[in-house]
Amino acid sequence: MKKYISVIAVLFAVGIAGCKKDYLSQEKNPNQPSVNTPDLALAATLVSDAGTLQGSYPEYGVWGGYWTTSGNYVPNQALNEYQLTTTSNTGVWDALYLNLSNWNTLLNQTKASGSGNYQAIAMIMKAYDFEQLVDNFNDVPYSQAFDPKNLTPAYDKGSDIYVDLGKQLDAAIDLINNSTGGLTPSAADVMFKGDMTKWKRFANTLKLRLAIRTSSNAGSATAFAALKASMTTHLSEGFLVEDAAVQPGYAGVNSTAGVSQESPFYGVYGFDVTGNATFGYQYYRANAYAVKFYLNNNDPRAEAFYAPTDAGGIIQGNIFGDILHNNQNPATSAIGAGLLQDPTQPAIMISGAESAFLVAEALQNGVIASSDDYATPQVAYEAGITLSFEQLGLTDAQAATYYGQAINNVGWASSSNKETAILTQKWAALNGLFNLEAYNEYRRTGIPTLPSSVDPAALSPTLPTRILYPASELSTNSGQLGKEGTISPLTSKIFWAK
Amino acid sequence: MKKLLLVSLCFLVLCVTQVFAQNRTVTGTVTAKEDGLPIPGATVKVKGTQVGTQTNTAGKFSLSVPSGSTIVISFVGYSTQQVAVGSQSNINVSLVASAGQLGEVVITTSLGIRHTEKELGYATARITAKDLTETNVTNVANGLTAKVSGLAVYSLDNGIDPTIQVQLRGNRSLEGNNNALIVVDGVPIPGGSLSAINPNDIADISILKGAGSAALYGSEASNGAILITTKRGASDGKPTITYGNSLQLEKVSFYPKLQTTYGPYGGEPVSTGYLDAITNYSKYTPYENQEYGPAYDGSIVPLGAPLDSANGTQLMVPYKAYPVSPIKAFFNTGVTEQNDISIQQGDANNSFFFSAQNVYRTTVAPQDKYWKNSFSARGKRTFGIFSIDYSVGYSKINLSTYINNSTASFGIPGSFVTNAGANDLYSSVLQLPAFLNIKAYEDPTSRIANVNNYYDAYAINPYWIINNSRRNAQRDVLLSTVNFKLSPTKWLDASYRISDNFGIDQEKLTRAEADFTPYAINDYYQASNVPSGFKATGKAPGAVYDYYQYGDGSSSFPGYARLQGDAILDFHHTFAKDFKVNVIVGNSIWQERQKAIFTGSNNLLINGFYNINSAAGTVTTAEAEYLIRQISYFGDANVSYKGWLTLDGTFRNEQDSRLAKANRSFNYPSGRISFIPTDAIPGLKDNKILSYAKLYGSLSRVGNIDIDPYQINNVYNVGPGFPFGSLGGYSLSPEQYSPTLKPELTTEFEVGAELQFLNSRISLNTTYYDQKDRNQTVPISISTATGYTQSLTNIGETESKGYEFQLTGQILTQAQNKFGWTVGGNLSINDSKVISLLPGVNELSLGQRNYAIVGQPFPLLKGTDFVRDGQGHVVVDPVTGYPSTDNTKLTNFGRTTPKYNLGLNTTVSYKFVQLTAVAEYRGGNVIYNGIGSTLTFTGATYLSAAAGRQAFVYPNSVIQTSPGVYVKNTNVNVQNGNYGFWQTSAFTSTNSAFVTSGAFWKLREVDLAFNLNQFVKNNKYIKGLTFALTGRNLFMWLPKSNLYTDPEFSDATANSNTRGTNSAAQLPGTRVFGGDLKVTF
Repeated sequence: MKKYISVIAVLFAVGIAGCKKDYLSQEKNPNQPSVNTPDLALAATLVSDAGTLQGSYPEYGVWGGYWTTSGNYVPNQALNEYQLTTTSNTGVWDALYLNLSNWNTLLNQTKASGSGNYQAIAMIMKAYDFEQLVDNFNDVPYSQAFDPKNLTPAYDKGSDIYVDLGKQLDAAIDLINNSTGGLTPSAADVMFKGDMTKWKRFANTLKLRLAIRTSSNAGSATAFAALKASMTTHLSEGFLVEDAAVQPGYAGVNSTAGVSQESPFYGVYGFDVTGNATFGYQYYRANAYAVKFYLNNNDPRAEAFYAPTDAGGIIQGNIFGDILHNNQNPATSAIGAGLLQDPTQPAIMISGAESAFLVAEALQNGVIASSDDYATPQVAYEAGITLSFEQLGLTDAQAATYYGQAINNVGWASSSNKETAILTQKWAALNGLFNLEAYNEYRRTGIPTLPSSVDPAALSPTLPTRILYPASELSTNSGQLGKEGTISPLTSKIFWAK
Repeated sequence: MKKLLLVSLCFLVLCVTQVFAQNRTVTGTVTAKEDGLPIPGATVKVKGTQVGTQTNTAGKFSLSVPSGSTIVISFVGYSTQQVAVGSQSNINVSLVASAGQLGEVVITTSLGIRHTEKELGYATARITAKDLTETNVTNVANGLTAKVSGLAVYSLDNGIDPTIQVQLRGNRSLEGNNNALIVVDGVPIPGGSLSAINPNDIADISILKGAGSAALYGSEASNGAILITTKRGASDGKPTITYGNSLQLEKVSFYPKLQTTYGPYGGEPVSTGYLDAITNYSKYTPYENQEYGPAYDGSIVPLGAPLDSANGTQLMVPYKAYPVSPIKAFFNTGVTEQNDISIQQGDANNSFFFSAQNVYRTTVAPQDKYWKNSFSARGKRTFGIFSIDYSVGYSKINLSTYINNSTASFGIPGSFVTNAGANDLYSSVLQLPAFLNIKAYEDPTSRIANVNNYYDAYAINPYWIINNSRRNAQRDVLLSTVNFKLSPTKWLDASYRISDNFGIDQEKLTRAEADFTPYAINDYYQASNVPSGFKATGKAPGAVYDYYQYGDGSSSFPGYARLQGDAILDFHHTFAKDFKVNVIVGNSIWQERQKAIFTGSNNLLINGFYNINSAAGTVTTAEAEYLIRQISYFGDANVSYKGWLTLDGTFRNEQDSRLAKANRSFNYPSGRISFIPTDAIPGLKDNKILSYAKLYGSLSRVGNIDIDPYQINNVYNVGPGFPFGSLGGYSLSPEQYSPTLKPELTTEFEVGAELQFLNSRISLNTTYYDQKDRNQTVPISISTATGYTQSLTNIGETESKGYEFQLTGQILTQAQNKFGWTVGGNLSINDSKVISLLPGVNELSLGQRNYAIVGQPFPLLKGTDFVRDGQGHVVVDPVTGYPSTDNTKLTNFGRTTPKYNLGLNTTVSYKFVQLTAVAEYRGGNVIYNGIGSTLTFTGATYLSAAAGRQAFVYPNSVIQTSPGVYVKNTNVNVQNGNYGFWQTSAFTSTNSAFVTSGAFWKLREVDLAFNLNQFVKNNKYIKGLTFALTGRNLFMWLPKSNLYTDPEFSDATANSNTRGTNSAAQLPGTRVFGGDLKVTF
């Protein structure tokens, strides 16, 4: 019997020895890479940022006086009655922080390798995303963000973040100016193709936006002082005089990953890759308030922002919140062909028009002493209108005819209050693509006087002042969020708001 | 692995010549004394050895025994008999019922090792083939329902391809796997393969309820195990052929409570003419998908738009509800036909079993079909000290079903509605108003039913989904095992077992193109109808998705194929007469692999031509591959003293490829004790009242590796829309991984008692267990400000404890009375608790409104509630009378898994007729009826019509007069008791409006069997004949508050632990009834 036992023992030994040493080393993921290159990260994050900006803010389009909701669908209580919940606006929080996480990773990665231009781009885009976070949510985690060891980062004051973003933008411009021999992105920079001069203009415009935003109200006076002072640092670098737009090669098809390659605004509020209308196109209809503004001022942009109705071929809007009397879709205007030009249209991050209006206001109010790009507030104001017309596919001549009219808040000379004129025309230019920026400026200045919902069940006679922190923060970071106190979407304000 | 196999094969060749031939063969029949009928499955063993067999379906056995030995014949519920073989070659034994000594029953335990029940220090249960297949289940899991304490079978839906989960002792893991390990003939099989097994091939099932009983399986054992032993041939030398046929019908058993009073209107504004500007009354709206219009009055009304053109025929119909609601008329009666044949034959050294099964099934959803053909061959051959046991099972399943949107496999939507939010089949059906003749729409190419003329502007014809969006799957599953065993001495068995289990799932999902006419797109009612959304192109292109997965034969993840080799040495010897020692050492190496590839497009060029090469734009493609490997060493030492005291200890070390190298090796020990006072204490022996008692306890630690392969390093995902031509982009994956991850560790403490009273006519098994699960592996949601939305982390601890009772009583024995009557019941009470999560974190979202909260049971359902005053009254607006949602917090509604599971069964027999019934209660849990929200949207819910669509005072509401001061609301009506309240107020969007108790009683099984053996006694060819009428889930009783659906249904996927949320993605519940015939030749 011993013979058998020894055979069995041999069997066992073979069984154990039969396994190679690396038999259990199966850590390498065959499905997804564990490394990324700066170029791959840069392209992906810029495209992602464009998607966030252009796909995330329909509610501000409604409250901003541009859009209403379709009468063909069940009424949206959050939009029409301001019944905002912590789950109403979760997408934008996550999207911005994830984009920021990618910028932060790129920044750390390129800091190590000493690529100053990549670092600068990452810092500029971090500022761009953090500004959106503050404008949506006021106080947000900033100084303790992106630390995997700290799962409950503390909230920083919105005003402190604004001031620091100004410093970061200055530092980024310095990095570009001091970058000698470092790598410069080319094709992967889907916004400026590696033109670092344009990046500096972008950074400077962003800084001006921060300064202007804090310039109007007492709550932001301290931040304004700091930002205004910093505007002198790189004033000569200039501001954007054209649209800053992401263009990776948008197309009206699916990617191999099955995701649409359409330009984000077109894909969300226009038509899908098969050419059929999306839900966003069917759901968001013209707002009677904006339609009236454009038509009353003989503004050809009415036909660009809004499509003629199916029945009648006119530009027709609904009254915000009037769910009982509003027209059905065929009798109201959808989003127009000036905004939905083509699935390949570039995704504008900051428009040249907005930049011009920022300069106009800054010059008008003395936030900056001068600008190499626009000599006077009027020049900037009229350039803003012209750039808006150009963006929609209209001509400079049409723009000149428009602002040549002797109408208050249209023609510069005829406007009784220049600041009101600048803000009114800025609102008229930001329609659709820049809903967040339009609503921010309304909350800062109250100009123009946007209509509140006429829905009798609306919780407030005035427009909401902010959206709520997302439910995810409530469940994952409630201790820190709790320090913010009770937030009301109807009364709580962003620090720079009126 | 290959090398090992080769050596084993060489070994085989060496040994075949060694034959010992001192044995002789004894055959016989085992019958029951009370009725003279044969007992299949009775154990026949040579006394003092492990040598034994089981009787076949005709109660016959054949066993090779050494001369001068004694054989022991035992069967559950019967007293064991011993017969000295002497010179007999044919031994017929008739067993006496009720004096049975359960302690002698042989139970299959881990690794296929067999122990008598007396020796087991943990709770087990045994399901015989008869119990399992009494009502002709097509899936093994369904046959286990309500039969064992601590075992819960969850049918999460009831389509043609249902999702079923089998769990023992509730949830342990917060987010990881809680499903029982399925083991067939000693080897674990992938969970998805369970449905491939022919229930009629199963000889018996042992349920190892806890981690302690399955500790030898290590990291796969934390959820207990279900050990399936398949049939081998009998050993009486004669061939037995069995044929069975069953035919069952399936009908919807439970519909939501519906209103049949009001017709279509859906919030049309005054400008459309369907809303009276002054009175605010809604008018009949011929194209609506919501039912908030006027009451049916029998008048003749237009339905939909004029057909084909503005001047076309206008369909005019009576505005009167049909006696049978179209929602009910839509569903069919399903039919399941099963044909089974098996052949078995064997003698002392050889056995052979072959079976074939054909199942054809249709269900309540029109056109859903399922075919299964399975074959299996098993056998055993002994050459002296060497034996080979093999088993091969192959099954082929074809199924065809409609595609739902919310459960859309691989992202293909079932319907083309892209602008109005696409519909699931059932939610489309729930939009049908009561005056609609739905059968007229069954052929969607007919004039009134085609996509251009469908009456409903906002929905699509549910028959369109049925006819045009199909998922066709073909699954080939092969389960195979071969076991080489060598018994060189009386005290040693050495075996090596190789098993390869895999399946291939091939699916093609197609959705037809929909072409719209300019007239339809032009939108007659200017209602923004579905066709108008396709103005740009005039068509919704067709779609095709192809999916191929090598794995367990399912399309799920994880669904691994498994290749395993086990080497086991089994030492068994009795020392000094009283000490029976059994020591096992072994090594197990396994590998699991899955590979999936799919391609798809939603933009096909040619209508009806479903090939990926015919797609516009770029096609979607994906590929993924996963591999897991594990090496383990284990040992088990079992010492039994005089049969009444048994000590057992196990140890297992395992190394797993899913973990980083530094954390890869883990040890899992366990120990247990079993004591039989009725044997040990002389004063208790032969006691009339207490006939048998066993006390046992066990302590064990096992693991649970809830980490998928490659989850220890962070990865990057392809950026949104990338690649754009040659431009690539990768973004950081939002889930954070860490190489420091460890397995979850379950520590289980278990004590129990098995007691039998009054000559074993009453038996009671009771168990208490306490499991603590540390290092929960959870993808916790973390603040996105960290840069990630989730982090896969080992956190916290949970506790799950409970009691299990199983009571069986023979009230009347058929032998002594004409009637036989047994009753049985099993009750499980499970209490789970989250002990800790992360420091400073008290709450964790598990998804689908399920949460884990420190100090509370888990998972818990949380959701939005109305604004309430301090006493819990709903606060309504003083003007509108509407409630509002409390957005400041989420309310805890209760646990989503049942705390109480109660199963009851009874059998009444008279002469050759036997009636068996099984009922089940589950309760102590809540459910969020997402389907209630859908029903309120459509206006079909009974509740919405309960107040006659008139204004009413919101029940038990209060009004706030000044901050914090509330007065009872007696006179503020809701502003609008119709569309206004039900659709636009916060009522529908507030979760608590649709949270109900999840309790139910179900009559699970009823079986009226006629044993016609006595009528064919003298027939030369027919040896046995039975006929039965069977029913499953015949009745369900629900609490009054649940107007919606079967609370067992849930949106959870197969491996998710979240429960308690349903939707229109599940069809209504069904009952099954039919008959079957079994003939033995």
